[in-house]
Amino acid sequence: MKRAVAVVGVGQTHHSSRRADKSMAGLVREATERALQDAGLGYEDIDAVVLGKAPDQLEGVMQPEQFLVGAVGAHMKPMIRVHTAGSVGASTAITGVTLVKSGQFRRVLAIAWEKQSEGNAMWALSPNMPFIAPLVAGAGGYFTPYIRAYIKRTGAPGHIGPMIAANARDNAGRNEYAHLREPMSVEDVTNSPMLWDPIRYLETCPSSDGAIALVLADEELAKKGPRRPAWVRSGATYVEPMWVPGRDQVDPAAGRRCAKTVYEAAGITDPWNQVDTVEMYVPFSWFEAMWLENLGFCEIGEGWKIVERGEQKFGAHLPVNPSGGVLCTNPIGASGMLRLGEAALQVMGRAGEHQVEGAKLAVGHAYGGGAQYFSMWVVSSEPR
Amino acid sequence: MRNVAIVAYAQAPFVAVDEHHTSTEILYPQIRRALADCGVEREAIDYQVGGSADYVDGRVFGFVAAVDVMGSWPPKQDLHLEMDAAFAAHYAWIRMQAGDCDTAMIVGYGKPGEGELNRILNLQLDPYYQGAVGLDLASTSALQASAYMARTGAGDADLAEVAARNRAAGARNPDAWLKQPATAAELQKTPWAVEPLRQGYVAPSCESAVCLILAAEGKAEKMSKTPVWIHGVDQRAELQSLGSRDLSKSASAGMAACKAFEMAGVKTANDVDLVELSALTAAEEMILREAVGLPARGDGGPAINPSGGPLAGSAAMSTGLVRLGEVYRQLSGKAANPVKNARRAIAHAAQGHALQHNLVWVLGNERRWS
Repeated sequence: MKRAVAVVGVGQTHHSSRRADKSMAGLVREATERALQDAGLGYEDIDAVVLGKAPDQLEGVMQPEQFLVGAVGAHMKPMIRVHTAGSVGASTAITGVTLVKSGQFRRVLAIAWEKQSEGNAMWALSPNMPFIAPLVAGAGGYFTPYIRAYIKRTGAPGHIGPMIAANARDNAGRNEYAHLREPMSVEDVTNSPMLWDPIRYLETCPSSDGAIALVLADEELAKKGPRRPAWVRSGATYVEPMWVPGRDQVDPAAGRRCAKTVYEAAGITDPWNQVDTVEMYVPFSWFEAMWLENLGFCEIGEGWKIVERGEQKFGAHLPVNPSGGVLCTNPIGASGMLRLGEAALQVMGRAGEHQVEGAKLAVGHAYGGGAQYFSMWVVSSEPR
Repeated sequence: MRNVAIVAYAQAPFVAVDEHHTSTEILYPQIRRALADCGVEREAIDYQVGGSADYVDGRVFGFVAAVDVMGSWPPKQDLHLEMDAAFAAHYAWIRMQAGDCDTAMIVGYGKPGEGELNRILNLQLDPYYQGAVGLDLASTSALQASAYMARTGAGDADLAEVAARNRAAGARNPDAWLKQPATAAELQKTPWAVEPLRQGYVAPSCESAVCLILAAEGKAEKMSKTPVWIHGVDQRAELQSLGSRDLSKSASAGMAACKAFEMAGVKTANDVDLVELSALTAAEEMILREAVGLPARGDGGPAINPSGGPLAGSAAMSTGLVRLGEVYRQLSGKAANPVKNARRAIAHAAQGHALQHNLVWVLGNERRWS
């Protein structure tokens, strides 16, 4: 019953703060055209379409996939719309994998997008709920207390955040699609205005317009080419409640469980030494150190030391976010699929200037909600 | 193919506005009732998937609050679709075909009574052309009804008759909102919603919450004495633009029905005993009957919407899942208004303006595949 699934095409847009040259449909189309071209396929070869994006209030259109049916070639086809907060891009890809694995669909187009310039993310992400004190502080204000708790627990020095931010920008310089590519030093970051202590302006993700699409196929079709596919070894999506006694937002149980599930299914027992590169969801600098621990790449309290030693840099032991990651490109709904898609490009050997040499096994990761939603996959250059 | 069955279902009775509870407070008791219905605790469920919409909740991340009442601790494998919850059930079925889970909990919820749903649904249309001219659900439904009436010659009295039959059935459904029967003549006197649709021909927007539990063969028999098996299912979307479709028909419903029948080994819709359609207007019911291959009017074939259908109560994002639940009640002998000797049924869900996206199920009280 367990069918092998592979990524046979990857296409993303050039990301920027305002893609005024394209409508929402045009932006999504740019990614799907590139993904299909990459796979050597046409819209007629696709059996089902899965779309994902973050809250519809970001663009002000309810269930926008309904007006995008034509743009994504879903007319008279099955279509699914996923929304799992910030992790949605990744869970959309995992949903696509399940569709192929079910044997009901042989080729699936998975698309994730956000056109943040259509609205105001700070407004949309500062909900004013009955009986809950409004933070009016967006995602940064929400996640800062978790970062402060991390620093307090581990005794991490203050320069770790700026080091992560500067390294991400260095990586994005090698990624032609990234939104923010101008180099910046640790000093530049440290000198930028403080937004939510300890997060400075240059330690936050941008608001981007962008989309990514993946073509997923079953084993037989994937082996037909035209290119070497990325084999999906495992994938999972986990959630935990917002309000539950004993919850640990710094080291969430759902993240640990998700990582354990995908590693076990992919036969990974020693992630630090077996995984060649990881694309993880780092919207604010410090999360890179936090997720290194949560995803089992090191023990608790060791994540910031990896950063201090530079072992997560491009060309080092475990390159983290060689694409530059969310800190340099953040079309929210697409950000998770960008992580998974970039991981796939690495094991396909087609990441261009930011290719990690000899990458055979890669991890893609995204999170969302109040550090509640986790979605990951493990991709490999080799079939099972 | 893997045999999968509905083993439990619970619905909060439709009300126009529940002023005393949040959407999650309405949902939680339904989850407890459904789990009790199949005699298991939350830990016995492998997978959970919800269907809701942020705009119907009037907030961003409305579904995140639902996770708290779904028993998500310790962490659970989960997904949320920004769709009618019937589509979430379809995805859970796909996941079982993939062998990724054996049991799944599907929930649908929302709080449309907090806002003006009809106006909110304007935001569902493309913002450049159709949305910008101010179309809402009532107007697009009226355009669709006009197109249908122009093609078939159906008149006001025909729509009234369809609506009256639903209202009579709704009077026997304890979960319905409109429990008072109304005759065709009475409904013909109700004011226009938007001509040619009268208020009596349009589904009342209500609040509810629904929980349905699916289990694969091997587990299903242990969880229910009367599991209702899925024989076939398919869903299809079509272009949104009203000008690019023949609004008098539903091509996507027709194709979904055709594919679902093929999977189920059903030749025509006349081979089933009852049909539950997500028809938000009397005209939509006629269009859908035609799309699945039934005469648009008259009795004699399978019973149509014995629950009273959406015309007796409809809750955005749950209406489709309610159809599946009503079929479960009928085929498991739990319906308050039983269709005699019902053994096989069709359930239909839709979303979008003028039946843009349709999902069709065929279910039966015997296993489909040996």
